[in-house]
Amino acid sequence: MYPPSDTDMDPIRILTAVPICDGHDSAINTINLELIQQGVEVIYLGYHRSARDVVRAAIQEDVRGIGISTYNGGHVEFFAEVIDLLRKYQVGRNMKIFGGGGGTITHADAETMCRNGVDRIFFAGTPLEEMAQYVHTSIGQAVPSPLNEGERGGDRFLARQLSLIEAGREPSCPESGPARIIGITGPGGAGKTTLIDELVLRFLQTRPKEKRVAILSHDPSIVGSGALLGDRATMIYSQNDRVFMRSIATRGQAGGLSPATTACLRLLAGSGQFEVVFVETVGTGQEALPFGLSHQVAERTILVMPPDYGSRLQLQKIAMLDAADLIVVNKSDLRGARTALAEIEARIRTNRRRQTLLNTQANRHRDPGVNQLFELLFPE
Amino acid sequence: MTSIGQIVQAVRSYRKFVTEQVKRARQDTGFGRQVLERWNEAKSKVGTAVTATGLKLPKLALPELDEPGEIARYLGEEGLPGDFPFLAAAYPAQYLESGSGNGSPNRNGEKQGGEEPTRLFAGLGLAEDTNERFHYLSRNQRNKRLSTAFDGPTLYGVGAGADGVFGKIGEGGVAIDTVDDMERLYAGFDLDQPDVSVSMTISGPAPIILAMYIAAAKRRFGALAVPKLRGTIQADVLKEVQAQNELIFPIEPSLRFLGDMVDYCAREMPRFYPISISGYHIAEAGATPVQQGAYTLSNGFAYVEYFRDRGMDVNVFGPRLSFFLDCGLDVEYLALARVCRKIWAIGMRDVFGADKRAQILKLHTQTSGRSLIAADWKNNLTRTAIELMLACMNATNSCHSNSADEPFTTPSEEYARYAAHAQAILLEESGLFKHMMNTLPGSPGMRLVGEAVEEAILDEFEAIEEQGGVIGAVERRYQRSQIQASGYKLERQIYDGERPVIGLNRYADKERKWPDLEMIRTPASKQQHQLDRLRDFETRNAVDSERCLDSLTRVVESGGNVFEELVHTVEHCSLGQITEHLCQVVGKFRPMI
Repeated sequence: MYPPSDTDMDPIRILTAVPICDGHDSAINTINLELIQQGVEVIYLGYHRSARDVVRAAIQEDVRGIGISTYNGGHVEFFAEVIDLLRKYQVGRNMKIFGGGGGTITHADAETMCRNGVDRIFFAGTPLEEMAQYVHTSIGQAVPSPLNEGERGGDRFLARQLSLIEAGREPSCPESGPARIIGITGPGGAGKTTLIDELVLRFLQTRPKEKRVAILSHDPSIVGSGALLGDRATMIYSQNDRVFMRSIATRGQAGGLSPATTACLRLLAGSGQFEVVFVETVGTGQEALPFGLSHQVAERTILVMPPDYGSRLQLQKIAMLDAADLIVVNKSDLRGARTALAEIEARIRTNRRRQTLLNTQANRHRDPGVNQLFELLFPE
Repeated sequence: MTSIGQIVQAVRSYRKFVTEQVKRARQDTGFGRQVLERWNEAKSKVGTAVTATGLKLPKLALPELDEPGEIARYLGEEGLPGDFPFLAAAYPAQYLESGSGNGSPNRNGEKQGGEEPTRLFAGLGLAEDTNERFHYLSRNQRNKRLSTAFDGPTLYGVGAGADGVFGKIGEGGVAIDTVDDMERLYAGFDLDQPDVSVSMTISGPAPIILAMYIAAAKRRFGALAVPKLRGTIQADVLKEVQAQNELIFPIEPSLRFLGDMVDYCAREMPRFYPISISGYHIAEAGATPVQQGAYTLSNGFAYVEYFRDRGMDVNVFGPRLSFFLDCGLDVEYLALARVCRKIWAIGMRDVFGADKRAQILKLHTQTSGRSLIAADWKNNLTRTAIELMLACMNATNSCHSNSADEPFTTPSEEYARYAAHAQAILLEESGLFKHMMNTLPGSPGMRLVGEAVEEAILDEFEAIEEQGGVIGAVERRYQRSQIQASGYKLERQIYDGERPVIGLNRYADKERKWPDLEMIRTPASKQQHQLDRLRDFETRNAVDSERCLDSLTRVVESGGNVFEELVHTVEHCSLGQITEHLCQVVGKFRPMI
């Protein structure tokens, strides 16, 4: 029903991960770096991930291939579970599964795994170039499996539509819908991803079971190059069927978002599937206004700041302090958090508009500041 | 300034101090005479060994020095074994064969040289399988030094019944879910006897696992056995965040649970080492030797600072800390452990005011797993032998040598035996270490490498200090990103041929031979058995477990000693139940990339 989506010009998107109960990420880190340098967009799911997490991410990210690096044994079973789940969700054989595990995967194992549907196993000593070559040829030329009519509106359908948008095609989707869009921005290292994950946790705990949330998360890249899309790897609570997460590279656009962002958000919000869509920008600079000055991109905008932004003079230059609806000083356990709060309060007072200033420590379990933020965003 | 910055200053001051001592020994005749007297006394105390061929040798080689300045330099820089700054060795005698007059085999401690430094590493399948392997490996050993590897689900505190872990049960280590499993694991070993010691390689759920160990020992030998338990548990939270990724709870509660455990052990288990500050996994993740040394030591100092700030006495917990380093083939390993001992001693004495017992860095070394190569894999025997020799030249207190077949599988019995024998060949068969404890160490080359390594470690310390100390740097991903960058560079150097790896990128056999090895795998029937008995345990304890978990929550929330409570909790709750419950109370660790 839907033809191959993206053009040959666009970077290949693949997912990489390390299986559950395995923290050996040294090999995958090296391979990720190599693939990125070879122009691949790598969505990295991280380590200690279940087959379910892997398949959910592969579907939502609409990747062409899944690379799994395993060193803790049980690989035959793990790969088989991934493939079973892919079949269950009718992803089909066009999703290429590949992997490696140094010497822990024997030739006999590899034969079994390939019979089960694994496309390729790399053995110890394989040059990095060979892997990059494989990704470019075998995976890059693979045709995504078509969607069935019955999947319309499902995660796979939505994910494919997002790919079409990214490739500059016209998606078939409703124009606008009921979901609220909340934009989250701030400098790198402010804790945006952690904050979103904590908000998601509270969403999952307090909202009715049928309510879902979407996340559109940006990472920087330049035109025609690869990128590491790693936000999923640090998410704990967002690995959940009630969460639809999509990682997107900026592909050369400055300012914190991708050329496809607006259309992607329109699609997600209009899908009728989500109560709210979080959009996370890349780590932004002082002058950035990723959501513009009015509310054309997001209904509500949040600026997340660390307390160590430098001097008060630096605050004057941060444009988002004028535009954001909510300003969150995260990492309130760090030295200087109180001063930061006071200085920012003084700074925004001159704006003479209703802006809320909050204090959070998102990396703390059940942080009251995050609770407060959640209540503001999701009033009873 | 954090303690890391203070340690940089202390090491620099110590160097200045040595230079001044040298000058003083030369200028101040009285002081010079004292130095000479001390030197002559030390020399006179050195015993004589007689070799099998009848050669007489001093048990300690001291250089021919008669000038007070040079003697002061030697004593300040190299030091006598067992003397500050412990560069030469932690204890006055190590490795010397008991037959050559070093005293009878001593049941009480490594320092007397009576105990083999060999740790027998095993972990496969179910508790019974590992138990059988322990009995096999230790059948000819005077001392039963059992070192335990756990499977993935145990390392992550996940129960055998958790979603998607079935295939991992008993793979790469032993599956432990309950206190019953722990009882089976060491069955037949007298845990309360001085010739048995147990090492457990686990960090994330370490307090729960050690609580199970104590509970199992109590069941078998009664409560009086607890103070007699010997051994160590890894419990290194910080290196998990930096390299090994096996952490369950967020850093803060992880440190608190660790502190509770160390506090308990320092009081109740005087023969147990409740933390093994580990560089091994940092190095295995790709760090350079200097990075390994710097991050391991700084993690150690961060623990000391944290425990001290909790109100614990450095002289009580300090002697209970031990270290675990990797030894690979890079030239830095010629002196890395020596330098680490020196920096630790200076930091502990001059920054934390610790007494002698707390100044000593007690070291377990393992040969490098990363250096083992699948291509032409029997070369791994040679690699391990060289690493072993480097480790002993650094006077490690105990050692584990890897099996040559480890790139493929959990060690087979055959190669595990060769690995253990390699140590015996080096220390017992060869004459290199058993007659004279420093036959090889102390060469000018070794000292030069040591000086370069020391300076490079201090540089790393300064970088850590700039980021607000160890925890600040951890939160900024500093150590992680440095380790990852080094790992990538290392792999590139291998692929580009810049770093020779024999049999892989040099002298490689065109036809790649795959070994004809027996793969150690856990059959599905055993995995099912583990799952069944876990379910049985949980059903049997359904009522009690709820009560125990409630009680555990109260202790966590009231700020009590969580470890003391865990010793009771484990009687009725499985590992998976406890970790899941604690995650609800204190949260989950958020992985870093």
